[in-house]
Amino acid sequence: MTVAAGIGYALLALGPSLSLFISVISKKPFLVLTVLSSTLLWLVSLIMLSGLWRAFLPLNSSTWWPYGLLIFTSVLFQEGIRILFWKVYKKLEDTLDSFADRVSKPRLYLTDKMQIALAGGLGHGVAHAVFFCLSLLTPAFGPGTFFVDRCSKIPFFLLSAIIALAFVTIHTFSMVIAFNGYAEGNKVDQIFVPSVHLVAGMVTLVNFASGGCIIGIPLLYFMAMLTLLHCGKMVWRRLMENQQRQANM
Amino acid sequence: MESSILESIGVEIIGVMSPVSICMFLVVLLVYALSPSNPLSSSSSAPIRTAANLVYLESPTDSTSQKLEGALLNALVFVILIALVTFLLVLLYYYNFTNFLKNYMRFSAFFVLATMGGSIFLSIIQHFSIPIDSITCFLLLFNFTVVGVLSMFAAGMPIFLRQAFMVSLGIIVAAWFTKLPEWTTWVLLVALALYDLVAVLAPGGPLKLLVELASTRDEELPALVYEARPTMPRNGEHHGSSLGLLVAGVSDSGSVELQAVSRGNVNPNGSDNRGNSDYSVIEIDSSVNEGSGSNRDEGQRLLLVDKTLGRQSTSSDSSEGSSVIVHSDMTRQFGSGASEIVVDEEMSPLVQMTGSGNVREQLRRDATEMFSRGIKLGLGDFIFYSVLVGRAAMYDLMTVYACYLAIISGLGCTLILLSVCHRALPALPISIALGVIFYFLTRLLMEPFVVGTATNLLMF
Repeated sequence: MTVAAGIGYALLALGPSLSLFISVISKKPFLVLTVLSSTLLWLVSLIMLSGLWRAFLPLNSSTWWPYGLLIFTSVLFQEGIRILFWKVYKKLEDTLDSFADRVSKPRLYLTDKMQIALAGGLGHGVAHAVFFCLSLLTPAFGPGTFFVDRCSKIPFFLLSAIIALAFVTIHTFSMVIAFNGYAEGNKVDQIFVPSVHLVAGMVTLVNFASGGCIIGIPLLYFMAMLTLLHCGKMVWRRLMENQQRQANM
Repeated sequence: MESSILESIGVEIIGVMSPVSICMFLVVLLVYALSPSNPLSSSSSAPIRTAANLVYLESPTDSTSQKLEGALLNALVFVILIALVTFLLVLLYYYNFTNFLKNYMRFSAFFVLATMGGSIFLSIIQHFSIPIDSITCFLLLFNFTVVGVLSMFAAGMPIFLRQAFMVSLGIIVAAWFTKLPEWTTWVLLVALALYDLVAVLAPGGPLKLLVELASTRDEELPALVYEARPTMPRNGEHHGSSLGLLVAGVSDSGSVELQAVSRGNVNPNGSDNRGNSDYSVIEIDSSVNEGSGSNRDEGQRLLLVDKTLGRQSTSSDSSEGSSVIVHSDMTRQFGSGASEIVVDEEMSPLVQMTGSGNVREQLRRDATEMFSRGIKLGLGDFIFYSVLVGRAAMYDLMTVYACYLAIISGLGCTLILLSVCHRALPALPISIALGVIFYFLTRLLMEPFVVGTATNLLMF
């Protein structure tokens, strides 16, 4: 029974990304490699961050502002990493295109570019879920469960799985938005992504208050939904434009 | 809509990475499944004694310097043993004792699958209290072993079966190695990575000699090597069936006949055909001098066992006995199979056109060029990657993920280097170095950070 519960928590956090992985990513080896490298990048960023904050740990768990600072710096750092990722991707795209010319295959389609962005985002999201949720799940496979004081109605594992799901969604689709924003030079999208990330991080601070998770998690899901909708709208618009352009040609 | 290049790039890399991933995943599962019973049993029974910890037996009460010293000694002895056996192997190969080597490999694969695999199956049966009688169990084990040996060394078996048994052999040996004490494991891994570096790259390195010898004779390496066969690019159109990451080489398993034919078309003197004719010859040979072959085989094994037994003055525990034998097989494997990626020399000239040394460019060129050949990965790499991950699994899941990513990226780096260097490369050093670094970084830096924030329900 406890094994079932543990697997359930893991699937709750990672189920959507798993199905995304199987249905879209796993058919194209290059996308799998993108997922792996993006996961590694996120891990490296997390290790660097923890190296920075190691000296100040453990933080006093009664005051909330050090945590706010921590989240703020982390989000800033990770957004910096995202820009780095974009730069690398840009170079990769050029080489891929020239390679495609050489083997006389079509250049990257718009959908291909979006899939690469999706794979990059999925890597970030999966890394988040793995390190913040899955790696704490080990005790969930044993007998018993764990409650935190501040949110005593729901088991901790369930909570962290739910939060991780929201963040996986945000990470995955904000990468698509960000890449598109960079490619088009669209300032709104470029600012939208870090702000969503920052707000989502800050919203988890609500959990700090006793019983705050009742409010914090719906807010977090609101942010996730916002990202999802925005991404969907943007992708739809691009695809339509692309279709029209092809029809005109 | 024409298929995009995304589908064709990196097929080979994934073809190597997915079996390694499966191997590591299963070892971690095994370690997790069997570990709850360990604290009870390990307190009562003495820790196992293999050639990997001949000199020093670690006990938790020893001081740090004592442990370090002992672990270093253990690793040194183990590496020297491996080096000796590898040199012996090179010598035998040099003087054309090929049949002996092949028979020896078959025998030892049989032995590893039967004894180590058997003991692991036994512990699984005990742990999950599976109701099975001894005769059925023995029959199943015997079948498993025989099919395993046949599929690994006989031609004409489905490549999928062969790959599956290679991976399971790796799992079995790695699961055994995770029973080593902690300090010894880490030092041993580092020492092996260094040894690998020397043995493959240094001018007189035994593995380098072996690979060169095999390539000048145009034979297959007398070793346990995992082959990631290229999936045939069917007229540039990649087959629609999903080459899932989770199913290694399943696309290869489609049908044997078709595969053999198509491969014959592509490279007429491909390894399959060669292996086939080779095998028939060996069959005749081995039936003639089977007796002498196995005798010599036995002799070498006994010699090793003697060596191990001589150093160990402990009681003749049943587990101990088997572990010793296990080890004598192990050295052979590492010595021979160990750790190189062997590149077939027949390469497309695509590489010669490379202009700039851009790594990304290399990567994709690498990927296309790899269509024409297979990547081979020594079984030793499988084993030691899995040992590292299995050892990490004893600490926490977080270290497992970190180590997995580090090893896979190290493997990726090695593959990229492979496309640059066009020669056999050691696959252990980069991966093991990254794995060890990430393990300790994760354990020392990241865990307090992540646990501290996540238990307060803060995430970002």
